[in-house]
Amino acid sequence: MSLTAFPSVLKHEFSLWHHVLKLLRLRWTLFYSGFKRASKRRKIFTVAGLIFVIAIFAGIFIGSMLLMNLIRSPALAEIAPDLDGFVEAIPVLVFAGSFLAILLTSFGLLLQALYLSGDMDFLLSAPIPIRAVFISKLIQAILPNFTLIALSGIPLLYGIGASGGYNILYYLFVPVVLAFIAMAAAGISSILVMGIVHLVPARRVAEVLAFLGATISILCSQINALSRGFDVEQVTPEMLADNSNVILSLANSWSPISWAGRGLVELGNGNWLPAILFTSLTIGLAGLAFYFSLTTAEKLYYSGWASVQLGTRRKKTSKHETLEKNQRLRLFEKILPAPVRAIVVKDILVTRRDLRNMSQVVTPMIFGLIYAVMMLRGGDDAPLGRGEAPPFVLEVIKSAWIYGSVGISLFVGWSLNSRLALLGFSLEGKSYWLLKTSPVSAGKLLLSKFLIAYVPTILMGMLFLLGITLVRKAPYSIVLYALPAIALILAGLTGINLAFGVKGANLDWENAQKISTRKGSGCLSAIVTVIYLGFSLVLFFAPPLVLSFFQLSELMGQLIGMILGGIFSLAAAILPILWVKPLVYRIGE
Amino acid sequence: MDNKIIGNIQPALPYIEIDHLSKVYGEKFAVDDVSSVVYSGEIFGFLGPNGAGKTTTIKMIVGLLQPTSGTVRVTGYDVRTEQLKAKASCGFVPDTPNLYTKLSARELLHFVGDLYDIDRIQVNRRIDELLRLFDLVEAGDDQIDSYSHGMQQKTSLAAALMHDPKVLVLDEPTVGLDPKSARLIKDILRQLASRGAAIFLSTHILEIAERMCDRIGIINKGKLIAVGTMEELRAMGKGETSLEDIFLSLTGGAEAAEIADVLK
Repeated sequence: MSLTAFPSVLKHEFSLWHHVLKLLRLRWTLFYSGFKRASKRRKIFTVAGLIFVIAIFAGIFIGSMLLMNLIRSPALAEIAPDLDGFVEAIPVLVFAGSFLAILLTSFGLLLQALYLSGDMDFLLSAPIPIRAVFISKLIQAILPNFTLIALSGIPLLYGIGASGGYNILYYLFVPVVLAFIAMAAAGISSILVMGIVHLVPARRVAEVLAFLGATISILCSQINALSRGFDVEQVTPEMLADNSNVILSLANSWSPISWAGRGLVELGNGNWLPAILFTSLTIGLAGLAFYFSLTTAEKLYYSGWASVQLGTRRKKTSKHETLEKNQRLRLFEKILPAPVRAIVVKDILVTRRDLRNMSQVVTPMIFGLIYAVMMLRGGDDAPLGRGEAPPFVLEVIKSAWIYGSVGISLFVGWSLNSRLALLGFSLEGKSYWLLKTSPVSAGKLLLSKFLIAYVPTILMGMLFLLGITLVRKAPYSIVLYALPAIALILAGLTGINLAFGVKGANLDWENAQKISTRKGSGCLSAIVTVIYLGFSLVLFFAPPLVLSFFQLSELMGQLIGMILGGIFSLAAAILPILWVKPLVYRIGE
Repeated sequence: MDNKIIGNIQPALPYIEIDHLSKVYGEKFAVDDVSSVVYSGEIFGFLGPNGAGKTTTIKMIVGLLQPTSGTVRVTGYDVRTEQLKAKASCGFVPDTPNLYTKLSARELLHFVGDLYDIDRIQVNRRIDELLRLFDLVEAGDDQIDSYSHGMQQKTSLAAALMHDPKVLVLDEPTVGLDPKSARLIKDILRQLASRGAAIFLSTHILEIAERMCDRIGIINKGKLIAVGTMEELRAMGKGETSLEDIFLSLTGGAEAAEIADVLK
């Protein structure tokens, strides 16, 4: 028996691009309604940001045009005759860089758009061609980075064109070729995403990406600090020429990655044959790559291949890791009450197993290492001047320099503590109900969160202090004084951060990397803890330095410092916690 | 404390006492002067339309929310002033099992056992029992983020049963469960009640409420509009016999049912 199909409820059949535009319009509506509903402050920031971006766009255009004019000026040509080749290599570098940048950056965005956004099932079950869904997802994924690249790259390329007197076709084809290259990169990236998700669950991939992204961006931001030893004066003309040759050979290579730039430069110069050859090859190849990627991605996604993991999907917890069998934790059993121990161990496991958490813990370590290296590079000895000062003053300066090592240890402790103590309660997220409904007192909850923040902070702070003072060959008397001082200062720091963390606890988050406190607690705690650190440093370290200056007993000074600083730090550790104790059971209401 | 006879078996104790409970958000009463008692050995079904105040009431019973006025006593302890004692005898299963997804079920149950300060040997024995009961032995050492919704829900129930609570509060416990798991939960609740525990259960599935619950409370727009056994609720209505009809009649859903009839 055969059944006749019911008449379709769809009145018209639309083209693919009609559906793509419809989906993109939906994105725009979401963005626009978000903007309309945003607070006045946010709207002002958005508009100001837009104006700023346009200003940068104009700045890059004018700057690059002036720079290229200078490079191509007859005066400079007399000194360096082959600079034209170098200038014409810039478009090649821009297009090759854009391709690689979009290939890499769209990976995370496509992972989010295809697997983690949660709207794919809805879109694929709607009467929309699957291809339209994929094209809109690809456009959506590359749009932010493409905009950034276009905003910085197009003015630069136009500037080169304006200084070189390129013809109008160059200006028309620059955005077209850039768009083709971006789409090809996104297409290849989508295949990569699906291949990796076939092997590893999407959420795990996202965690690893977030960890790598955070670590690499911190390292990149600090490269300047690390490369402080680089001396521009050491650069020789030969070195410049070598680098210039590398760029020129890349620009003139037969690699497809250089075709886009070469084609456009030839187009600008009116060399029609090579221009048509390279430009059409670029557009054709990019279009082909995009089409191939699109059809392959559709098939992989629709057949379910892309989301089926090979082997076991579940993550087994190691037998050695289980709470019961962990020998290291036996020690806790004798000291701590069971609920406190349980929360501490739970936090350690949760932080260690979620790479997004780990990236935030690793950040202060990177900072600490970089600044410790910088400090040690600066030399082991204090700046002793030209020797006019009396010997005891030089001794005092030397002591102060060694006491300064405490500063770097505190900085490392401060950045780690800001994460662990301030966000200790927020980290619980939507699972906080488990703690809130259990018979655990507010005091025990606070004690567990204090320990989970304080112990790693103090360990890291002391490790840095010992490392730095050993390298600087500091006297034992100062090290033995600085260690308990740091322990007390960090205890106070933990108390303050924890109190602000309770006051501004935010349990409503999805991504552990984006946890933040509410009610400006994060900002306030940063201000208060910096002031606290300043005061405690003065209270602990001014008495021994002042007494040394007056040639009195440094030991007596240390005793006074320990009493003053100790009382101050302990008050900071205890009083804020007592203040917020009644609020612990109100978190999340 | 007033005692009561449930099912002619044993004198029942008032394990959950809700007295003039209100919760106000701004000017809106999410819960408005609700009073009720749930006795030991009793399964109390808590029904109401979406947004009626069921979850808010439940959150106040288990200590997740502070009432604006009124009191809740669990096993005789005021949830506000003697919260640790009240919480020690109470187990809670929320509507969404937001668990620590980076722990395994076994680790989570250990964690809960420690929170309730249960003896270590007893914890281990209990974990084995619960994992077996909920068919989670094989997945017991896997991280919870690899579990299905149903498995997470079962883990959440196992966590609530770790300390053998006298009072068990469940918010939509059968949502997302397969028939076998739903049946298992129903059997467990019945068994717990027969051992003297008080069960406070919110559900949208009227068939569950009708067949399982000894008494039913219906909340609408924050007010408890009816409480009683099925017979008592039938007596309140206008001749309706099924719980669905009684519920729709009391909460004003009958008109909606008539509109739906037109669309048929």
